Amino acid sequence: MKTIIAKVSRFDPGRDEAPHLHDYTVEVYEGARVLHVLHAIHDTIDPSISYRYCCGSGQCGSCAVRVDGEPVLACMEEARDGMTVQPLDLPVVRDLTTDLAPTLRSVPFLAPRGDAIVLPCEVVEEIKPLRSCIECLACVSVCPAMKVTSFTGPTAMRQEMRLTLDPRDTRDRIEEAVAAGLFTCTSCQACWKACPKEIAIPGKAIERLRAYASTRGFTLPRHREVAALIRETGRSVTRTAPGFLEEVPIDNPPKIRERGVVGFFVGCMYNLRLPAAARDAMEVLSRNGIRVVIPPTQVCCGSPLIRTGQTEFLATLKERNIDAFVTRGISRVMTMCAGCGTTLKNDYSTPFEVLDINEVLTEHDIEPPAHLFLRVTYHDPCHLLRGQGIRNQPRALITQVADLVEIPAICCGSGGGVKSGNPDEAAALGSRRGEAIAASGAEAVISSCPFCEFHISGHTDRPVENIASLLLKGYRTADERKGGR
Amino acid sequence: MRSFDVSDCHVLVIGSGGAGVRAAIEASPHGETVLLSKTLTGKGGCTTMAEGGYNAVLRAQDSSTCHFEDTMKGGAFLNDPALVSALVDEAPARVSDLLRWGAVFDVNDSAEVAQRPFGGQRFPRTCYAGDRTGHEMIRTLTEHLATTNVNVVEEVAAISLLSGNGRVCGAAGLDQKGELRLFSADATVLATGGGTRVYDVSTNSSSGTGDGYAMAYEAGATLIDMEQVQFHPTGAVYPYDARGRLVTEAVRGEGGVLRNGAGERFMARYDPDRMELSTRDVVARAIATEVQEGRGTPRGGVWLDVTHLPPEVIEARLPVMLEQFLKFGVDIRSEPMEVAPTAHHLMGGVQISPSAATCLPGLFACGEVAGGVHGANRLGGNALADTQVFGRRAGDSAGRSEKRVVQIDRAQVEVIETRLNRLYEGECDPANVRRTLQQAMWHNVGIFRTEEGLKLALAEVCSLSNLQLKARTALQLAECRTVQNMCTTASLIVRAALLRPESRGAHVRRDITQNWDATSSPYGHTFISTAREGIDVRGSAT
Ligand SMILES: Cc1cc2nc3c(=O)[nH]c(=O)nc-3n(C[C@H](O)[C@H](O)[C@H](O)COP(=O)(O)OP(=O)(O)OC[C@H]3O[C@@H](n4cnc5c(N)ncnc54)[C@H](O)[C@@H]3O)c2cc1C
Ligand code: SF4
Ligand code: SF4
Ligand code: FES
Repeated sequence: MKTIIAKVSRFDPGRDEAPHLHDYTVEVYEGARVLHVLHAIHDTIDPSISYRYCCGSGQCGSCAVRVDGEPVLACMEEARDGMTVQPLDLPVVRDLTTDLAPTLRSVPFLAPRGDAIVLPCEVVEEIKPLRSCIECLACVSVCPAMKVTSFTGPTAMRQEMRLTLDPRDTRDRIEEAVAAGLFTCTSCQACWKACPKEIAIPGKAIERLRAYASTRGFTLPRHREVAALIRETGRSVTRTAPGFLEEVPIDNPPKIRERGVVGFFVGCMYNLRLPAAARDAMEVLSRNGIRVVIPPTQVCCGSPLIRTGQTEFLATLKERNIDAFVTRGISRVMTMCAGCGTTLKNDYSTPFEVLDINEVLTEHDIEPPAHLFLRVTYHDPCHLLRGQGIRNQPRALITQVADLVEIPAICCGSGGGVKSGNPDEAAALGSRRGEAIAASGAEAVISSCPFCEFHISGHTDRPVENIASLLLKGYRTADERKGGR
Repeated sequence: MRSFDVSDCHVLVIGSGGAGVRAAIEASPHGETVLLSKTLTGKGGCTTMAEGGYNAVLRAQDSSTCHFEDTMKGGAFLNDPALVSALVDEAPARVSDLLRWGAVFDVNDSAEVAQRPFGGQRFPRTCYAGDRTGHEMIRTLTEHLATTNVNVVEEVAAISLLSGNGRVCGAAGLDQKGELRLFSADATVLATGGGTRVYDVSTNSSSGTGDGYAMAYEAGATLIDMEQVQFHPTGAVYPYDARGRLVTEAVRGEGGVLRNGAGERFMARYDPDRMELSTRDVVARAIATEVQEGRGTPRGGVWLDVTHLPPEVIEARLPVMLEQFLKFGVDIRSEPMEVAPTAHHLMGGVQISPSAATCLPGLFACGEVAGGVHGANRLGGNALADTQVFGRRAGDSAGRSEKRVVQIDRAQVEVIETRLNRLYEGECDPANVRRTLQQAMWHNVGIFRTEEGLKLALAEVCSLSNLQLKARTALQLAECRTVQNMCTTASLIVRAALLRPESRGAHVRRDITQNWDATSSPYGHTFISTAREGIDVRGSAT
């Protein structure tokens, strides 16, 4: 037996104004799950504690809770000493029990044609991955779009896609999905990462539904304009001044002894909207011995097309981008835009390795920057944290320069074509970020994605900076301090 | 008197597993139907957890006669032949219903529903959806339910059946706040699933506490063959708190090997021909014997090993097992699993006719709570078919019941209330009572039984039943009632076990030697009701 101390959220709507955490110490066997700790509390301390469970083996989806902030199935997650157990971020009935029924009822169901047909093998294989959902609603609890719009949510979209694939269904699921908020999804990937069955809803359902919607003419006018722009100019934003790519040399040897070479995939935003941050990054790389090669023939990665379901022109973009680097013999390509990085890593199959700048800069020790007496917070870009699994590297860099206060990793609202297509929703999510930033007490916000930086700066009074710019500030201050000495 | 609502309907279905949802769908066109369950619809019960599959005769090479014979033989000829006929004849049509409503079963290259071989069957007739067949079924059924007018009442636990004028006329339940809710109905369908949670080690979901057996018994119904408890040979032993979790038979089907603590492939001593692929009862007894005689693993099980299989095979054919064990810190591609028998299924239950009628007018039963279909041992894959065949029959029979004016008898409600109120004055912690009961059942009413052990268990169960349970708040009332139901179900199992003086199917009496086998046994069903109990003897009328 072992002892586990857990903080568990308690809430009695008849008595309490707000939920509060209560400490419990229980004895459980080795390997006990979170659910067994709850059982032990119920059996030996307080039988009034309310939580749901049924199968005890990850099959019924009754028991999802948050452990240390992350949604998990209580019956499958191993209990940790010192853990905090809270209900999912859904309306709470009591303690850990949330009201699942309204969302469960809003998931669409098959409208059968009436004949008992056996589906062809390929269709079965296509539907299967969407069918393993146990309706635990972990995904729903983390979906940012649902918090500010009437979007029916990720598992409803999963079901719309499953029904679209099913010849027995009689309803127009595309029209239904569009009405249910198909275009409000920000592609933040939070649903996928929260899903105990690892169902990749954004890619496997939402983007595919958007592609069907596109062929049916449901694409939002702003998204169509962006697609037209890409087709015309190879870029997803307009050129208002000479871009970064036009101004930098192709080959940029470092100032100090060379330690490595990367090809730089610049992306539309750093090229045409935030070139200063890209220049800062170049200097940081140079000071750390990294040679940067920038093929001028590169174009938009195609992410705006994929996320909005307009995939006709995609193949051309992919080919041009891959060629741009391959013809220069580059084996490692660096992205600085989280969105481009996710796209190159997950939607392309590249003959070269793709790395985010945060990975490049943490491969070796970097030149130590000065510590600035600055309290910053870090906004995790969705496409970096969830799209590429990059969490610790940016923090390792930031803490060399500044003091870091954390805020929860929630989408800012700029992705998935939402900023252009549903500006009100993007603003609502941006404001929520602004509030979280204000509450953190940080003096500045650091991020590592041009979309996030651009969008968040419209919703906070604190300065928003790219991580490379912060590092460069650290270097400049170090130079000054050295010079001053 | 506490405050309560009465909801009136034509058909009340209790339980939203495969059988209950199917019954509600069928009853709905006949009149207002309420589907009541103590969990969220589709999330409770064991149907969602079923992995292996659903037996149905779908090919010209197979026949319902063959399915009938396999089922009777598997059931040690204790099955009710009329019920088995209904099962095998209608199982295919019920697959068609599921396909019509959107089920996504696996298909073969000839675009037919795929079928896999299962123990004790001469033809591979087990349809499946990967290793989540029951989940696929319940998803399909709850989706279809949404297209009907069925009134779904969730998270209300039925605690007693109500009767009046010699008929069952609804049920009383407790909602999540501990408030009494009353339901009156022209016909009531009991579909509350099984009850092996009365054992310390069980595969069942949290709702497998036997509420339905207890409610039916208290209302006066006859229950048959309650001693017949199937122990699945392979349940997980680690983590201890999750002991009993099913390790699917497919692991052995794919070539998994059993070894005892000394590394010996012990099945050679029990069934050298079929080895690991012997029937569930034989393998369960072999494992139990190894452990009892000191040849087990440190945690009291045996090893089940697939490490000799290529990792790709394990990944493709046993994905759920791989995933579950990985979560529990064991990589089955490189380490053996530790397994031991676990209480799995109650073959016995409320006696029904082929139209799913019980002996009480107005009460129908289907699914695991009903008895007679599986005899003394259930074949893998027959229970899911049972839920659909008898779920439909029960819903249809209940739906066709005559409409009448149902008056709930206040005196009866007062008795229920008094019983609930007494719980506030009790002094015994229900969690303790539950644990003691589960231990007593596991140690004395398990795979091997003797009269002495059974009597010991009966005494323990009786004394536990007489304790005054304590509900600290209204929220705990339902829990106390569940523990009382567990005590009642356990006592039915023990009493029936004492009534059957032979080893038959899953019921093994170590203290009895007999000179007959299943085909020549002089005995039929054991039966228990509040009025009488006994065992049918061949040739004598009961
Ligand atoms: C792990 C596992 C795997 C299995 N695999 C297979 C397989 O592969 N093939 C096969 O044929 N069989 C299998 N079985 C057996 C089969 O799943 C069950 O026998 C069958 O699903 C029972 O269905 P049911 O509808 O009768 O009950 P369940 O599905 O158990 O549903 C019971 C319902 O009743 C409700 N309920 C219970 N008590 C009350 C109450 N007091 N008030 C209100 N509602 C109540 C519950 O909430 C639940 O909704 C398996 C069983 C288990 C445990
Ligand atoms: S990707 Fe994000 S916004 Fe889109 S459905 Fe998933 S959680 Fe919601
Ligand atoms: S998609 Fe995943 S997270 Fe969402 S309800 Fe289904 S199983 Fe849960
Ligand atoms: S209890 Fe069923 S998934 Fe956890």
